[in-house]
Amino acid sequence: MWWETTITALLTLAIYTILVGDNPIFKFAEHLLLGLSIGYSLVVTVKSILIPQAIAPLGDGQWAALIPVILGSAMFLRVHPRLAPWSQIPLALLIGAGAGAAIPAMMQARVLKQTAATISGSGTVDGVIILLGVLVTLMYFVFTRRHTGAWGRAAVAGRYFMMIFFGATFAYTVMSRMALLIGRLEFLLSDWLGVI
Amino acid sequence: MRARRIIFALLAVAMIAVMIWRPRLPITVTDSTRAVFAMIDALDSNAVVMISFDHEASSLPEIGPIGAAIADHCFRRGIKVVGLALFSEGNAIGYDLLSRRAIRQGREYGDDWIYLGFRPQYTAAILGMGEDIGEVFATDYLGAPLSRLPLGARVRNYEDIDLVVSVADGSMPTYWIEYAANRYGEKVVAALSAVMVTSFTPYQESGQLAGILTGLKGAAEYEQLLQSPAAGVRGMAAQSAAHVLIALLVLWGNIEAWRSRKRRAA
Repeated sequence: MWWETTITALLTLAIYTILVGDNPIFKFAEHLLLGLSIGYSLVVTVKSILIPQAIAPLGDGQWAALIPVILGSAMFLRVHPRLAPWSQIPLALLIGAGAGAAIPAMMQARVLKQTAATISGSGTVDGVIILLGVLVTLMYFVFTRRHTGAWGRAAVAGRYFMMIFFGATFAYTVMSRMALLIGRLEFLLSDWLGVI
Repeated sequence: MRARRIIFALLAVAMIAVMIWRPRLPITVTDSTRAVFAMIDALDSNAVVMISFDHEASSLPEIGPIGAAIADHCFRRGIKVVGLALFSEGNAIGYDLLSRRAIRQGREYGDDWIYLGFRPQYTAAILGMGEDIGEVFATDYLGAPLSRLPLGARVRNYEDIDLVVSVADGSMPTYWIEYAANRYGEKVVAALSAVMVTSFTPYQESGQLAGILTGLKGAAEYEQLLQSPAAGVRGMAAQSAAHVLIALLVLWGNIEAWRSRKRRAA
């Protein structure tokens, strides 16, 4: 509908007024966006978690659902100084289960498999560059040894490898932000104004 | 402050001009996009692809087109699609995107595609689906029990899913790699916002990710392979104009800095 598109377009323009400087129009649009986002997430959580996994089972007499409800509610006891220690029980369970699942998985995906791939790829030119890059970058992060002589030169090379990574990441970030602008411009020019 | 505003204005003018003029620039398809396309193209029509919308609404202009292109490809080939969201904001976006694409390709909800909805605690959700999807999502997004939907009854866990595509603007594909790929041997593709690509390339190089699609550019390449240009292809000319302008400004800034340093030295 035309008025819905117009409201969206005006809110888009309101957000972009930050480019001129901080102003009440931007603040209004920013607060509206935050409020809507939090409100939407709350409704989704209540509808897809609280009702089907807590309220509905309890209504059907499945009392086992009381355990997560009690543990979840205990989290909120943090706000009361005397009852706050009770909130540590669900936190301990959450952290214990989380760490138990995460540590082996992270070791496997982020350390062991990456190390194996770095070593096994060293038969190609790309592989040798990657292996060299990893080694000199790691040397840069050894702070218990003075960065002088050959070690220092390797550490400098490591810094250059990191700079290449940061440069590529920055370029991708620019690309990403431009894509967001393109999306908004397309909406303004096509859906709202109809000039393209 | 004034220079910054001039740069913003220049960028806006350049991009708007190119969007109105609409020049068709050649789009080179990267090996990574080609590999993902070939992977989906090689699946038979009875295969199941899980598309997870792991992003917020703010990144929709960039990664929405990739999700749309992948969904189009699957529906066009008759591949079954199971949608879900591990970010609450991606929930309605994912359902809306898949339902529009399914209607356009004449695919039926329940038989050809289903949408599971949103679950928080992504670690538990990804791990749980490795055992039994019905335990994690007893009902679909619309509240129907999974067992009553033909496709819902067919997919029990990752063994019944041929490929997972995480459409993400953050680090969510890491968890798909750690829990679905490494633990259950599931093939995972990351359709990412461009800013995340450098973080995920090592996972692709080590064979833990089956493929990466890169932001709006990835969408444009995928649309090119599908031979149905859409938002990705439309955005490429404006993106190129912005990049050329930024490169020229960086060059100009460096020349000016060099000249002023020389003047000071003289």
